[in-house]
Amino acid sequence: MGGMSNAPKPDGGTVGRFRSVVLPHLDAAYGYARWLTRDPTDAQDLAQEAMLRALRYFHSFRGEEARPWLLRIVRNTWIDLRKRNGAEKLPLEVLETRAAEGPDPEQSALAGDRRRQVAAALAALPAESREVLVLREIEDLSYKHIAAVLDLPIGTVMSRIARAREKLAVELKGRLERRDHGLPDL
Amino acid sequence: MDCPTCEAMVDAYVDGELATSESAAFERALEGCPECRRRLEAARTMSGLLRELPAEPAPDLLRARIERELRTIAGASRVRFPGAAMRWSAMAASLLVAVSIGWLGGSLVGQGGRETDELVAGYIRVAMSEHNVDVASSDRHTVKPWFAGRIDYSPPVHDLTPEGFPLVGGRLDVIDGRKVAVLVYRHNQHRIALTLWPSSSSGNAAATIRQHDGFALADWRHDGFEMRAVADISPVEMKAFAIAVDAAVTADR
Repeated sequence: MGGMSNAPKPDGGTVGRFRSVVLPHLDAAYGYARWLTRDPTDAQDLAQEAMLRALRYFHSFRGEEARPWLLRIVRNTWIDLRKRNGAEKLPLEVLETRAAEGPDPEQSALAGDRRRQVAAALAALPAESREVLVLREIEDLSYKHIAAVLDLPIGTVMSRIARAREKLAVELKGRLERRDHGLPDL
Repeated sequence: MDCPTCEAMVDAYVDGELATSESAAFERALEGCPECRRRLEAARTMSGLLRELPAEPAPDLLRARIERELRTIAGASRVRFPGAAMRWSAMAASLLVAVSIGWLGGSLVGQGGRETDELVAGYIRVAMSEHNVDVASSDRHTVKPWFAGRIDYSPPVHDLTPEGFPLVGGRLDVIDGRKVAVLVYRHNQHRIALTLWPSSSSGNAAATIRQHDGFALADWRHDGFEMRAVADISPVEMKAFAIAVDAAVTADR
């Protein structure tokens, strides 16, 4: 994505096309942002910032699939915001709660203990594993589209998914054992 | 097919990423390979469990914030979209319903549902509207006198720019049938609505902060005023805001 300085200013017509092409994928953008940030407030900020960037970059959109295109912007925005926020000093309190926080089961209205455990296990995975699973299973992207979002070769996407599923299984098993559950329905 | 090849194909098979001929070869190889059958089951299970997770749609507030930005950008270039206003009002209505239901679920301690509904509705008017204040000024000497004659008390007004919360202006709202003062602050790109009225209880009460659906809600009493703040910021930022308000009020006595 090129520099922003020479990008044409979006006009009313551009905004209209953006509404019909990109805006329908806001749920996907938020869903991905939610799992990247693991915080509902940060996810909203990230999704909003990414949407505005997408509008500024919309002139460079070439009619490819809009969802992976938007998710790639979400991801790049997340990386940029983290760099920016990393430079600031967050109070320790914030860092500690963030680290411990997956999406709050009550807030996300997750029904059932198993789903809660699965969500917590996914949230606990390192970002590299987490995002590839989110893109595959939750956003339902093909390997080709995941490769486009992450800017990786398809072969790498494939091996990351395999590794991430194994990590998730280990994480989930650990959680369920800690809670004195057997693996239900497995 | 030898096992390493078979193993490497398990996830692509689960994900439907193999060509028909590859799939058939994989299935044949699988028959002779219990370890790969186990891997296949494990990968399918993980995939199935993740797909059971309920999708979390974008909150209405986020949608409304983006809508506001788009309208501003489109409006700035003087192009009108037929139907945009209609969509907007329909969305605002659904937003109010969604938020009041959510808020009731969040159960602010010691607050009636109606008061909190009214506060959130007021916040949404502040956050969504381009004309979100009746008096726009960062100067407390403009905002404070504006309330005189409009409500029956004089709210403490302070600009909190040094603390990161510049004063945007003031507006009136009606809470529980009574006209009240609302001070609007900004924190980065977020709006904070602080609604305040004279308290019938004495003594200060530290801010209680609740979070729901991306909103932070604060509820406290300071120097004879009931304070209620609503914003789409983090609880930590909201706490900092409440502390900044209290410090300014105390310093001014």
